[in-house]
Amino acid sequence: MAITLLFAVSALTFGAMNVLGDPLFNILGPIARDTSNPKSVKLIEKAKNDYNLDKPLPIRYGLWVSGFVRGDMGVQFSTDGQPPVTELLKERIPRTVTLLILGQLIAVLVSIPWALISASRADKFVDRLSTATTFMLVALPGFALAIILKYVFAIRLGWFPLTYRALDPLQTRLFQMLLPGFVIGLPAAAIYQRLLRTDLITTLQEDFILMARSKGVSKSRILFKHALRPSMFSFITVVGLTTGALIGGSIVVETVFRIPGIGSTLVEAVLRHDFPVVLAIVMIVATAFVLINLLIDVVYTIIDPRVHR
Amino acid sequence: MSTEAPTTSEAAAPAPGEAAIKKTLGIGFWICIGWLLVMVFVAVFATRLPIPDPKFNFIKPGQAGPSKGPSAAHWFGTDKDARDVFARTMYGARVSLTVGFIAIAFGMFVGGTLGILAGFFRGWIDRIFSFMFLVLLSFPSLVLAIMLTALLDRKLFTISMILGVLAVAPVGRLARATTMQYADREFVIAARSLGAKNKRIIVRELLPNVAIPMSALALLGMAVAIVAEGGLAFLGLSVERSITWGGMIQLGSDSSKTLQNQPWIAFFPIGVLFLTVFALNFAGDRVRTYFDVKEISL
Amino acid sequence: MSELQTELRQEHQPLLEVTDLRTHFRTERGLVRAVDGVSLTLERGKCLGIVGESGSGKTVLSRSLMGLLPSSNTVTSGSVKFEGKEILGLPSKQMRRLWGREMSMVFQNPMTSLNPLMKIGQQIAEPLNLHLDMSRADARATAERLLRDVRIPEAARRLDQYPHELSGGMRQRAMIAIALACGPTLLFADEPTTALDVTVQAQILQLIGEQRRDRNMSVVLVTHDLGVVAGHTDEIAVMYGGKLVEKAPTSVLFAHMKMPYTMSLMRSIPKLEDPSHTRLATIPGRPPDLVHPPKGCRFAPRCAYARDKCLTEEPPLRQAEDPNHSYACWYPVGSPEFNQREAELNNGAVPVTLEAR
Repeated sequence: MAITLLFAVSALTFGAMNVLGDPLFNILGPIARDTSNPKSVKLIEKAKNDYNLDKPLPIRYGLWVSGFVRGDMGVQFSTDGQPPVTELLKERIPRTVTLLILGQLIAVLVSIPWALISASRADKFVDRLSTATTFMLVALPGFALAIILKYVFAIRLGWFPLTYRALDPLQTRLFQMLLPGFVIGLPAAAIYQRLLRTDLITTLQEDFILMARSKGVSKSRILFKHALRPSMFSFITVVGLTTGALIGGSIVVETVFRIPGIGSTLVEAVLRHDFPVVLAIVMIVATAFVLINLLIDVVYTIIDPRVHR
Repeated sequence: MSTEAPTTSEAAAPAPGEAAIKKTLGIGFWICIGWLLVMVFVAVFATRLPIPDPKFNFIKPGQAGPSKGPSAAHWFGTDKDARDVFARTMYGARVSLTVGFIAIAFGMFVGGTLGILAGFFRGWIDRIFSFMFLVLLSFPSLVLAIMLTALLDRKLFTISMILGVLAVAPVGRLARATTMQYADREFVIAARSLGAKNKRIIVRELLPNVAIPMSALALLGMAVAIVAEGGLAFLGLSVERSITWGGMIQLGSDSSKTLQNQPWIAFFPIGVLFLTVFALNFAGDRVRTYFDVKEISL
Repeated sequence: MSELQTELRQEHQPLLEVTDLRTHFRTERGLVRAVDGVSLTLERGKCLGIVGESGSGKTVLSRSLMGLLPSSNTVTSGSVKFEGKEILGLPSKQMRRLWGREMSMVFQNPMTSLNPLMKIGQQIAEPLNLHLDMSRADARATAERLLRDVRIPEAARRLDQYPHELSGGMRQRAMIAIALACGPTLLFADEPTTALDVTVQAQILQLIGEQRRDRNMSVVLVTHDLGVVAGHTDEIAVMYGGKLVEKAPTSVLFAHMKMPYTMSLMRSIPKLEDPSHTRLATIPGRPPDLVHPPKGCRFAPRCAYARDKCLTEEPPLRQAEDPNHSYACWYPVGSPEFNQREAELNNGAVPVTLEAR
C-alpha cells in the first residue's frame, strides 16, 4: 500500500512538473523560444539531449525513478558548475533533520509536564489559562510566531543569536538552532498537551486509579506511574503524525532564521523554477511522510502489551 | 429484582433553576463574528473608505528617514518606502479574505461531494476517492502549495484554487466518514424501502445531516486557508503585485535591523492577521461545540 | 448479659464506629442524598454485610467510610471513628497513611480495577514499598507469599504477568492479595464476586473468610445478594434508598426478619430446590429518587404490605426482641397488619403497590 502511494505521489509530482511547467524554458530561459537563431537551436538540442526532454513522458518518469532509487537525483537546472542535486541535498538535509528532531524534542519535553499539570488541576485557573494559551499558539501562523520570538528573544533580550551560520562550530550551530526549534516545537507542544491532557483526565476516571488511591498512593505518583502510560497512545500517534506538518513549518522557520536546509532550498528552487531540485525535495518529503506513518503503526503494536494477545 | 413499572417519585421533572448542559454560542463567539464582519466590511469597501492611499509614498522633503512610527497621521506608522501601514493592512485583508473564502468554498464543494459519494456508494468509488485523498494528504500542505505555485501562475484565482485543492482531502474525509455514519441509520434504510432513488436519498436525507458538521468546519477551514496564504505570501509566493499581510510581514522582518528599529512594520499586520485567524478559530470551535461534532481535524 | 460482660464491653472499643453518616452529592439536578443517616459499629475480626439493591447507597457508604470519595461536590456529615479516631473529612494526605495500610478495599471488577499496563508483582509491591518501606527484593518475596496465600498457582510466574493474562477469578485473588499486602485491620469488599462465575464466587468468599480469621481482620462485605452474606457474615445491615432499614446478627436476621423489604430480598433468591422454570419473585418498581426522596418510608411505594401511614411518616429504627436487632417499619413481619395483608395475598389477591393505587 505504501509503495503504491509513493508511486502515485511521485508520478503525480513528476507529471505536474513536466506538463504544467515548461522545463526547456526553465533551463535555458528566453533562448528556448528563440528558434530562429542557429546557436540557440544548438543549445536547445543539447539541453533536450542532456535532460532527455525529447523522450515520451512515461519513459522520462521511469528514468527518473530508477535514478532516484539509486540515489541519483539528476542535475540542477540552474547555471553550470552547481553541484548535482544529490550532493546539494546531502549537504542540506541534515540541517533540516536536526531542526525537526530538536523541535519535536522540545515539543515532547514541554508538553508532558504541561499536560500533567493541566490534568491534575483540571478546570481550575491554571488549566483554563493553559487552554487559552494553547488556542492562541495554534491560531498564530508559524512565520508570525517565528518573528515574534526572534524579536523578543534574539533582538530585545539577546538571549539567542539572530541567525544560523553554517560555518560556525557544531556546538554553536546547535545553539543557534534552539530558538528555531522552539518556534517549531511550541505550537506542536500545544497540540500534544491538549490531547494528552484530555486522555489523562479520561484515564483518571478509570477504576484502577481509584484502586491505586485506595492503596495510599499519592496524587503525583498516581499521575506519573499509573495514569501517564495508558494515556500515551494517542500522544505517540499524534507526535508521529505531526512530524509531517512540522516539515511544512520548517520551511518558514528556515527562511526566517536563514538555515540552509531543504525547506529554504525548496523555496529558492521554486523561485528559480529549478525542477529537479523541487521534484527531489518533494519526493523526499513525501517518502519520509509515508514512512513515518508506517513506523507509527509498528511502534503502536509494540508498546501496547494488550495488543499482543 | 425489579420490573420496569415506573415509580411516581422517579419522574425526571426538572427542578426549577436546574442548569441544562450549556448549549449557547456565548458572547465570545459574537465578538469574534463582529471582528470578522468588520474585516469583511473593510475588505469590500477599502477603496471607498477615508484611509490613505496604500501605494502612496508619504515622503516629505527634509525628513530624516522614510519610515516613521505610529502617529496621529499614520495610525500604524509608515514602512520603509514611506507607505501608510494602516492603509496597507486594510488592503491586505482583501487578498487574504478572498483567497480564504474561495479556497474553503471550493474545498467544501468538491471535497464534500467526493466525500459523500465515496461514503454513500462505497465499493470501488470509495477506494478510488479515498486513495486520491490519501495521495493529496501525503504531502505536507505547504510543500504542495509551494510546488503548485511554482508550476502555475500567481493570480488571485489560481492561488485560491491551489489552497482549495489542499482543502479537498481533509473535507472529503470528514464528509465520507459522516456519510458512512448516517448511511447506516434507520431513516436512510426507511427511505430506501419506500423506493427512493439514490440521488434522492443523498440530497434529501444525507446532505442535511452531513452539512452540519461541515459547516462547523467552514470557519476553521477558512482560518487554515488564511494562514496558508499568509505563509505563501511571506515566502513571496502569493498573489503577485498585491498587498498581502504575509508580504508586509516579510518586508518588515527581512533584515534584523528593520525588525529591531521599526518593529511596527511587521507587527501591525501580524496583529491583524492573528486577530482574524483567532476569531475564525474561536468562532469555529464554538460552532463545533454547539453542534457537538466530534473528530474534526484539518 | 452479666455485669462483667457489660463492663468488658464498655472498655473495649469497636474498630469502626459510624454515627448518623450522611453523604450528599451536589449535582445539576439537586442534592443527591446517597447515604442519609446511617449508624453502625464493627468489632475487630468481625464481618459486617451491607446488602441492598443498586442505588441503595451501599457502595457510596463503603467509599464514604473509607474516605475515597472526591471532595468536590460531596457533602458529608456525621461521624466515622476508626480505632477511636475521627476520620470523616480528614484531608487526603492524612488518609493516605491509612489507605492500604490500616484499611483497604477490594473492588468489584478486577479487570478494570487493576492497572492493565503494570505487572501484577509491581501492583502488589507498591503498597509494601510505600507503607512498609520494603526493599525490592523483600517486596517481591512478600508479593509471592501473598499470591500463594490467596491460592494462586505458580505464584512466582504470576508476579511478572499482566492482568489480562490471568483469569477472572485469579485477578480477583490478586486484588485481594494487594488489599491484604500491608496487613490491614479493616477490609472493604465491594461486590467482590459480582463479576465472577458462580463457581468461583464461593471460593473467593471462602478465601476472604479465611484471611479474616487468620489475620483477625474486620471485613465489610457489600453486596446486593443476600445469598452471598448468608454464610460469611456475623452481622448484616440492609440498606434501602440511602437509609439503614434493618440490622441484625446474621442468624437472627434470617430467622426473624422484620422488614418486608428484607423478606422480599430473601424471596427473590433463586433456590436450587425450586423446580425448573419457577418464576423469579421480583420486587416491582424502581429505587427511589435520591434527590427528592419520598416522604414516608422510602420503600413504601413498592411495598405490598404498606398502608397509608407508611407513605406519610418515616418509621424510626426500633429494637426487636433481640437487642442487637434493629429495624425501621411500621408494620413489620409478624405484626397483625402484616399478617392480614399476607392472608389476602395468599388468597389470590393481586399485590397492588401504593403508587399504583
